[in-house]
Parts: sequence; C-alpha cells; structure tokens
Amino acid sequence: MSFLLKCPNCGERSVYEFRFGGEIRQRPSPPAGPEAFITYALYKRNIAGVQWEWWYHRGGCGEWFKASRNTLTNEVQQTLLPQDEEQRG
Amino acid sequence: MDQPEILFQWNGNTVTAKPGDTVASAIYRSGVRTFTYSYQHGRPRGLLCLTGACPNCLVNIDGVPNVRSCTVPARSGMSVLAQNQNVYRGFDSPAVKRFPAAPPLAESPHHYEHVYLQFDVVVVGGGPCGLEAALASAERGLQVALLEKQPALGGDSMLVEEVRAHPAITIFVNCTCFGLYEGNLLGAVQIDYDRPHAETLLHLRAASVVAATGAYETQFLFANNDLPGVMLSTAVQRLVHQHGIVPGKRAVLIGDAPRCSTLQIELQAAGIEVVASLRVDSVVSAVGEDHVRGVATEAVTYDADLVVMCGPLLPDLGFLAGTSPQSVTLVGAAAREGFANQAYTPPPSAQSTDAIACLCMDVSGKDVAETIAGGMGHIELIKRFTKLGKSACQGRMCQTAAVSLCSQISGQTIAQVGTTVARPPAPPVTLGVLAGMRHHPARRTPMHYQHDQLGAVWMDMGDWKRPRYYDPAGIGNQEHCVKQEYRAVRERAGIIDVSTLGKIEVKGSDAGRLLDLVFTHEFSTLPIGRIRYSVLCDELGTIVDDGTISRMDEERYFITTTTGNVDFVQQWLEWWAAASALEVTITNLTAGLASMNLAGPQARGVLAQLTNCDLYSQNFPYMDWRQATVAGVPATLMRIGFVGEMSWEIVVAAEHGSHLWEQVLQAGASVDLRAFGVETQRVLRLEKMHIIVGVDTDALSNPYEAGMAWVAKLDKEDFIGRATLARMKQNPLERKLVGFELEGHIAPPDGSPVLVDGQPVGWATSVRFSWEKEKVIGMAWVTPAEAKHGTPITLRSDAVDYSAIVVEEVFYDPTGQRLKM
Repeated sequence: MSFLLKCPNCGERSVYEFRFGGEIRQRPSPPAGPEAFITYALYKRNIAGVQWEWWYHRGGCGEWFKASRNTLTNEVQQTLLPQDEEQRG
Repeated sequence: MDQPEILFQWNGNTVTAKPGDTVASAIYRSGVRTFTYSYQHGRPRGLLCLTGACPNCLVNIDGVPNVRSCTVPARSGMSVLAQNQNVYRGFDSPAVKRFPAAPPLAESPHHYEHVYLQFDVVVVGGGPCGLEAALASAERGLQVALLEKQPALGGDSMLVEEVRAHPAITIFVNCTCFGLYEGNLLGAVQIDYDRPHAETLLHLRAASVVAATGAYETQFLFANNDLPGVMLSTAVQRLVHQHGIVPGKRAVLIGDAPRCSTLQIELQAAGIEVVASLRVDSVVSAVGEDHVRGVATEAVTYDADLVVMCGPLLPDLGFLAGTSPQSVTLVGAAAREGFANQAYTPPPSAQSTDAIACLCMDVSGKDVAETIAGGMGHIELIKRFTKLGKSACQGRMCQTAAVSLCSQISGQTIAQVGTTVARPPAPPVTLGVLAGMRHHPARRTPMHYQHDQLGAVWMDMGDWKRPRYYDPAGIGNQEHCVKQEYRAVRERAGIIDVSTLGKIEVKGSDAGRLLDLVFTHEFSTLPIGRIRYSVLCDELGTIVDDGTISRMDEERYFITTTTGNVDFVQQWLEWWAAASALEVTITNLTAGLASMNLAGPQARGVLAQLTNCDLYSQNFPYMDWRQATVAGVPATLMRIGFVGEMSWEIVVAAEHGSHLWEQVLQAGASVDLRAFGVETQRVLRLEKMHIIVGVDTDALSNPYEAGMAWVAKLDKEDFIGRATLARMKQNPLERKLVGFELEGHIAPPDGSPVLVDGQPVGWATSVRFSWEKEKVIGMAWVTPAEAKHGTPITLRSDAVDYSAIVVEEVFYDPTGQRLKM
C-alpha cells in the first residue's frame, strides 16, 4: 500500500504519513440504546468501491480530515477539512 | 602500475581475482566448474546466466546466504562458501557430493538504510536506451533518476559522459529495481560494494517511469540441460568479453540459425572451435557426468566441452509484475514482445527424461508430464504441485520452458496455457533491507543523567527510559534497593521522575464539552483550581486510558495520560473534536514539560524550603493545584497521590527539570529523601489498589468490573460508552478485579492463573511483596462468586500452587487520611 493522499493543509503526501481513522459514520444520539452504539462501534459497511473515510496526518500537520477513496483501487477522489460537507454519490 | 592483488577464500582455498572480476568469474577463472549441487537430487551445477537471474551461483559470503555471486565484485578478504547442505538423499539420487556445511546465519553485519526520493522521471536500466531516455527527459527540464543494476552505465562512452555530466540526472549504479507500487512508488536496492553488506532501500516517487531494463535469456529443455558447461549465450559472452576467460575449446551452439551464426563468429574470434549449431528440437541430450562432454542428437554425438544455448529472450520486466502501470514507458529490448512469441518446441525427449525445467526445485520434464497426466493441467496447479518456479530464481529461468512444455503435452496454444501470476518483489530482496536499520529511538527525560549518577537501573516504557530503581552502591539486589526507597516514601519523603506521563492541554470555548464527551467523569462543572481523576472509555465501555484533569481556567484544562499512550489520547481527543465540530485547541506538551512527584509524610517540609506557596491542607487541599515559584522557577503544583502519601506533582518547563530535581534532592537531604523508581512506585500504588491501565486492565475491562463505578457519571446526558455502561450497571458482573494476599515472601509472577477447586477463574494482574502487610499482595480478576472478602483462591505458577485469600479493603490507609494530611 503506497498510494498518495492529499492533505487539505499540506498537499499530496505518501500514505505512510497518515493514520487511517475508519469509515465516516453518524454516531447515534444519546436516547439510543447500547445496541445502536455497539452497532455504530463495531459494524462497518466495508464498501467495495468509493467510501468516505477519516484520515489523520500523523507525520504532518496533525489534521483529521475526510477522504473519499475507492477501496478497490486506492484511488483517492477528494479530501476535505472536517467542517466541509462531503458530496455523497 | 601494478594493481594490488585481490585474494579471497573459496571453501577454505585462496582464490586470486583480477580487477573487474565478480566473485563468480574469479572462482570460475581458478578452474572451478561446479558451484553447487541441486537441492533435491544433488545434481552438479555450474555457471549458467551470469546476469543474476539463475539459481546456480548462489553462495554464502561472509555469513550471508543466497548471494548471487555473479553480481558481487570480488573483494579482498571475503570468505565465500558453497551452499548445498540439506541435500535430499533419495534412493534414486546419484552419489551426492558435498561442500562443507555453511555456518549458521550470521548475526547481521549489515548496514541497512532507507532513503526517500522524488523525481519527475525514473529510468530503470542504464544501457544505451536508458541513457537516451534519461538525456531526452533531462533536456526538457525534468529531474531524472537513472538506475543501473551493474556497477557501470553501458553503451557509447560519449553518451555515458554526457549523462554523467548532466546536472538534472542522478545516477544510481549497483541499484536493482524490484517493484513498482501504487502511486508510482518504485522500490530499488542499491548495494555499496566498498563496504561489506551495505544496502540501501530507495523509495522513489516518480511522475513517470521509463523501463529500459533490456531482456534476459532463458534456458532450453533437453536431457542433462543442467550440466556444468551448458551455458546461456549471455554468460559465455560475459566470460569472453568482460573477463577475458575462454570457457571451452570445442563448443556446440543450440538455437535459431541467425543468433547461432553471429555467436559463432564471436567465439571463433576468441579461439573456440564451434563443432555444430543445432536446432533445439533436434537435441536429445547433453552428455557428461560432472561436466558436459558432448551433445547427442538422434543421429550423432558431438564431442564438446562447452554447450551454448541461444535461449529465448524475455523482456526484463519483473519489477512491473502485478501492477497496471499507467505511466510506464517501455523502451529498447524491454519493449519487445514478450513471451508468447518466444515459445519454442522442446525436443520430444524433454517430456520423458530428466530434462530440468526448474533448476531451483529440480522439476523435470517428466514431472510436469506426469502432473498433467494426473489431471492438473492448469499452469497454476502445475506450479503448486511440482513447486516449479517457486524458489530462488522466481521462475525467471523456467517460465518459457514450462509453458512450452505444457503447450506441447496438452495440445493447447501458448495463449491458452497462459502464465502464472507474478508479483513483486522481483528479483528477490533481502528481508534485512526491507526491515531497515536497527534503530530503537530512546526518549530521555530532562533528569536522565542525574538518574544515571544516582545509580539508576533502567527499564523501557514505550519509547522512554525510566529508572526501575536506584542502586547507588552497586550491590545488585533489587529487593534491598526497592525496600530502601519504599521506606523513604512511607516514612520520610521520596521523589520520582514522572516526566514520561503524557501531558495535554485542551483549551477553547468547547473544552469542557469535549472532556465531558470523552471522559466518563464530568469536567464542565469542575471548579478552576481543582483536579479530578477519570478514565476514558470507548463506545463498548472498555477502559482505554486514565489520568488526571486539572481545570486551569474557564476554557483551559491540563490532562495527564499514561506513559506511552499520549499520542493515542491526543488523536482520540482531536478526532472527537473534529467529528463533533467543537471549538478547541489540543496541544501535546509532554516533551516541553518536566514533572516529578514529591511524596511522603515529610514532603510538605521539603517543598516548603523551596517555595512560599501555602502548602497546608486548609488552603491547598488534596486534588487542588496552584501556580507557584519553586526553587526560583515557575511551577504548577498538583496535589495528587498515586502512591498513597501526601504528595505534590511539580510540573515545570523541561529546561528547569534538572535544576528543580537537584534542589529537591538538596532540600530533602536533612530528612534522607530518596529518589525512587518505577518498581517502588508499583509496590506503593498496589498497596492502595490504584490500577495501571494496561497492566491491571485488559482489552475488555470496564469500570464496574474494575471497582470504579464512581468514575462513570451516568447522570451526564452523553459520553463515549455511556449507553453500554448504563446497561452493564443493570446486569450482573461477569468478573471482578479484587485484591488478595498470600503468606510468605515469594511472589508468583504477574499474569499467573487464579484457580478455585482446580478450575481457572481468572488471573493475577500485579503481585508484589508488601512491607506494609509483611506478605505478598496483589490484584486479580476473578468471577463474582470468588470476589467476597476471605474467599480462598489459588495462584499457580510453574506447577507450584500459592494459597491466597481475597481481600476487599485497600491494603494501605483505606480511608485515605495520609493523602489529605
């Protein structure tokens, strides 16, 4: 695995500089029971295709950002700062 | 001018090499023809390709096995050994001749480095086409890397000079490219032959890649095609032109007519008589025992001491295997059509004889034919069943032969047979260079060298070096030293360097909200000046870290984490802040601060000598912090107590740490204050049953089981893990962390299983001798049935049973009076 990711602050860098933070999921709201939280924590959609993910620029600016990546090809289409809204296909 | 002689050892004999010799050519020059014996059947093997592609010249050089000796320049003082131990001696094997057994794998003398580079263009291959490509790219203003696996660039000398002089071209020789990976990352290994075993792994990012790697030659199939003296034309040409060695007197050439006739002229010029040029399908067998003596066809046997195969030429593109490169340009021989057009018709004898298809694994034509007859006709099945192509040469020598043979036997076309899936690295790479340098980074606190002077016995915690205990007199008795330190803390005063604990500042308008969300306890309501302990859970309610949180002002908090976990906690906080869109700034201050914990009944008297701050409990109670000047430097004093005594954590700028440590030692001299280490701290805190996350907890521990129900503030609307913890609180516990004590001085090791009626019910997390109790004490996970005070349990270690009793009350100062004095 050696693809490139474009950090919104630092630009295109080797994936070695980043930590993977998992799929972007909506955390349940507090009235939800433990089942909802356990599902949120443990069950992944694991899409074979493009999905939005969290990435952390550990070897750089220390930003958590969002990236849409094709899990089959490791092609990264778009990266966004956390406050920016992702366009979901 | 005389060149100094190059002398090295080959199996204990001295070999003299000429300048320009490789290890293989020097050994060959000395008269050696058999370099090794094959692994399966002990067949003699000699030089075949001389290009680093075949497995025949693998040797052990200075303790490093499997070195391709035809690629290594000869150097004085080398110790070279043949390798062929572990020969399988089946009943049908010929008499096996053996070289001396190779020594065991050497403790690595290597120098491995990794280098990361970026270029506009990387040209792989420094022959004529590669030089042209590099120059053309550089002339357009691009930054170019040129990789050549040989020691020198090849081709026209004017062109070589032009390339060497060009400022935009960086040349890497002795550099083999082994793979092209995602993002146009090229992996290449550069070997520095001037230093023993110095290899550098280059990580090259290229906007575009040019493959000018040329072609390599592969062998033909006929009986005894693996005899020493049967060589590829590339090997013969190298011996003659590069090394000035004449490898035979009478040669038979095998291959198509145009290449044979060109080669014939070259060989005759070198004084070699060519007795015949044969088409491969007319050859039945090479003849000979230890070395080739001739070639037999159906009609006639030719006497010869050299057989030269003008074998199929394949583009040398192993490093592109398994990729779908978008920006690779192939030039020169590498761009020639591969393999499908190179297939040939093996002689009929190849199917039924020991014609060797795979040199590495001794797979014969007969083996392949029998495998296909047995129903395994797919090329991938043949590979897996026979091991053809699965060893040192990675199928480079056998691919064409195997596919040609399959096609011939099965009647399929070459395209139908196909090839096995190839993946990089190709050619092979040592694991050592992939692993890189042996580099263990060590972090040292600002007081490190003072600990050294005090006789610290060191231990590793994460990246940090910490004193386990101090042995100032060098007596080497841990128990004695720890006891001295323990007594000092319990009876007088002690000081421990806690700079390794993670220290994080969280500030901003949402700081309180973030901490309320992330920690189980509540912090938005914590008054300024107060400190609160909390754990940090995940959504499943599992404890992942713990620490203290101090409220510094309205929008600023100071967090401590466990040693080694600070990066995780920082990233965890930052992620939740980002995902919840909270306005906070999170700063890791660990390296910028020094901290030490001054503890013991006399701690107040010691600290009072260094500060004007009012240290009495009515004005500075337990779990408060104050800003103060201590020994002339600004400090934060935090009144907390991990070891169970009155204590202050003194936090100062890292550059003041050493000064302050010295001042505290001096101020404490009158009460015989001692520096204490991690081992002493572990005994002290165990007596208080203060947990260490990751030691007393595991990947499933929740606060209820750990006896810390109070830390989960379920009346908060939300925090990470709240929903699951609320459910856990209603359900019966599955296990519980309890204290225990056992008679005697001998402590079974941490992690010992806990048994009841011979059945395992849990495990002991921490076991130490307590000078307070004059017994061994500890903490253990047990099932709720055993969690009651006075329940007998058994610890087992090395088949010895230790009888223990569950203790509910904390071993030392259960009411916590000593913390609040």
